[in-house]
Amino acid sequence: MKRIALILSLMMALAASFGCAKKTGAGYDDGLTPEMRAAIEQITDARVYFAFNKFDIKPEYKDLLKNKAELIKKYNSIRVGIEGNCDERGTQEYNLALGERRARAAYEYLVTLGVSPGQLEMISYGKENPVAQGSGESVWSKNRRDDFRVVAH
Amino acid sequence: MKKILLFMTLALWPACESAAYAALRVDIYGPGQNIVNLALATPIKGPQAEASGMGQTLQHLVEQNLNILPFMRLTSPNAVLGGTLMAGYEPPNFDFKRFQLAGSDIVVTTFWPGGDSGTKAVQMRVFETNTGGRLFGKEYPNVTTRDLPEVADRFCADLLEALTGNGAFFRSTIAFVKKTGTMSANVWLIKPMGRDLRQITNMPGEALSPAWSPDGRFVVFSHIDQKSHALGVWDHSNNKVQRIRFPGNVVIGPAFMPDNKVAVALSNGKYPVIFLLNHVFQKERVLEQSEAINVSPTFDRTGTKMAFTSSRMGGPQIFLKDLNNGSVTRVSRNGAYNSEANLSHDGTLVVYSRMTDFGHRIFVQDMVTGMERQISFGPGSDEQPSFCADSYFIAFASSRGGGRGIYLTTRHGGDAKQIPTGGGPASFPRWNTPAAQK
Repeated sequence: MKRIALILSLMMALAASFGCAKKTGAGYDDGLTPEMRAAIEQITDARVYFAFNKFDIKPEYKDLLKNKAELIKKYNSIRVGIEGNCDERGTQEYNLALGERRARAAYEYLVTLGVSPGQLEMISYGKENPVAQGSGESVWSKNRRDDFRVVAH
Repeated sequence: MKKILLFMTLALWPACESAAYAALRVDIYGPGQNIVNLALATPIKGPQAEASGMGQTLQHLVEQNLNILPFMRLTSPNAVLGGTLMAGYEPPNFDFKRFQLAGSDIVVTTFWPGGDSGTKAVQMRVFETNTGGRLFGKEYPNVTTRDLPEVADRFCADLLEALTGNGAFFRSTIAFVKKTGTMSANVWLIKPMGRDLRQITNMPGEALSPAWSPDGRFVVFSHIDQKSHALGVWDHSNNKVQRIRFPGNVVIGPAFMPDNKVAVALSNGKYPVIFLLNHVFQKERVLEQSEAINVSPTFDRTGTKMAFTSSRMGGPQIFLKDLNNGSVTRVSRNGAYNSEANLSHDGTLVVYSRMTDFGHRIFVQDMVTGMERQISFGPGSDEQPSFCADSYFIAFASSRGGGRGIYLTTRHGGDAKQIPTGGGPASFPRWNTPAAQK
């Protein structure tokens, strides 16, 4: 019985370690080439920000998305999760819908630029996952955003 | 089993009690809500013998309950000349005059025929002071200390029903969400008086927007984890929770229809669409869609009216769909951001929150006259209003106390009272339909 428990816990630890390496990309000994790691960083580092209650991509973020599109196309083993977020002012249910529209706006732009839909996924966190705490436009503007996360490579 | 016996027996007690029901009525729905002055006679276990054990505890619980009713004013025992300890619990051994002189319209007597310690029966009667006529009476057999809160709730529900025609408030249970961190929240239940608090889900991720099935068996909710949205379903019959995923990216604001089917906003191409699910939570048909966001459906008790939030005119506004003929009309006409609609069970009112410069505030609109009325004034932000099945009480979430908590008000507004939810930010209050619990 003890042996089975030991084997099971070892298997779980092994599975967990594989999962971490796959999800987080840079920073782990995960077999990535330096070029690919740099590409993942570029894809995930820069965010797209939105105006209040809007989900259209502002012109200043189009080049940034073009750059992401090129990298995602180049590394076609990569899968990118686009996470739509809102500031604290709207209500939770409506913000979940608005966050989805924001994620979808980036998704559609990337697909227009030739990225395979199979390399993209979306989720909305509404206002549940802020990066900046507090109130005021300087905080709110940071939270009205799309985050990009490499979920598989 | 004991509980069943307790309430089965009370139902058998003098059936003729209801004969006098219509004597005194309180209109809590009209604009000129009147006040009822109520006195509580000292609970007794014999002539002039005060019941000071369970009797006193029950008296205190009933007092607490009645104090939440905005249309009820409790007469101070000090205002009753000669005191509230009486020789008996009904005429001819009860002096109504002293209560009448103290300004009371009605008086409650409590009699513990076998004493008030251990497991005993208690009889509670309500009389009009000017005529001495009995409004109603109930006996609760086999009462122990543990049963006292429930006895108080049952009695107050019956009293409310006798006076207003609807006792749903004290029979209700509220589902709500308690947050424990970023992207971490679970669903809890509580009685409107703050009793019987319990957690019903324990899942990683965030639960939002709980909603009861009309039969009281299920609570559904949106559930978001790091990877996906899903419909959470808690089954009261086995206390189990399932997480049901759908194609697409969102599962927002589920609500039950009267036939126990769920309506929920799901992805369908570009915009969230309000779908009707069948009894096994699979997509059945579209209830509402347009080239805009459509979320947060809510229904009256007939299931023919659906209020929802839509961005079809720019910012979010409240709309009403007649599900018989498909016509959609705009409800909210003031303000740039109105959302979180909740229809009263009788379909006559819709309550919603509006974003203002000072946070969100709660508004009620009369669906017959179109008149809108602000019923909450902060401070902080007041959101997620929800009608009790009596179409009178409204629960909502507010940050007025610093952290987020659940508060009670009525369709007329007035002072909001907080429901103690045991620490941690609480939000999304949703009432059950208590007839299902009877």
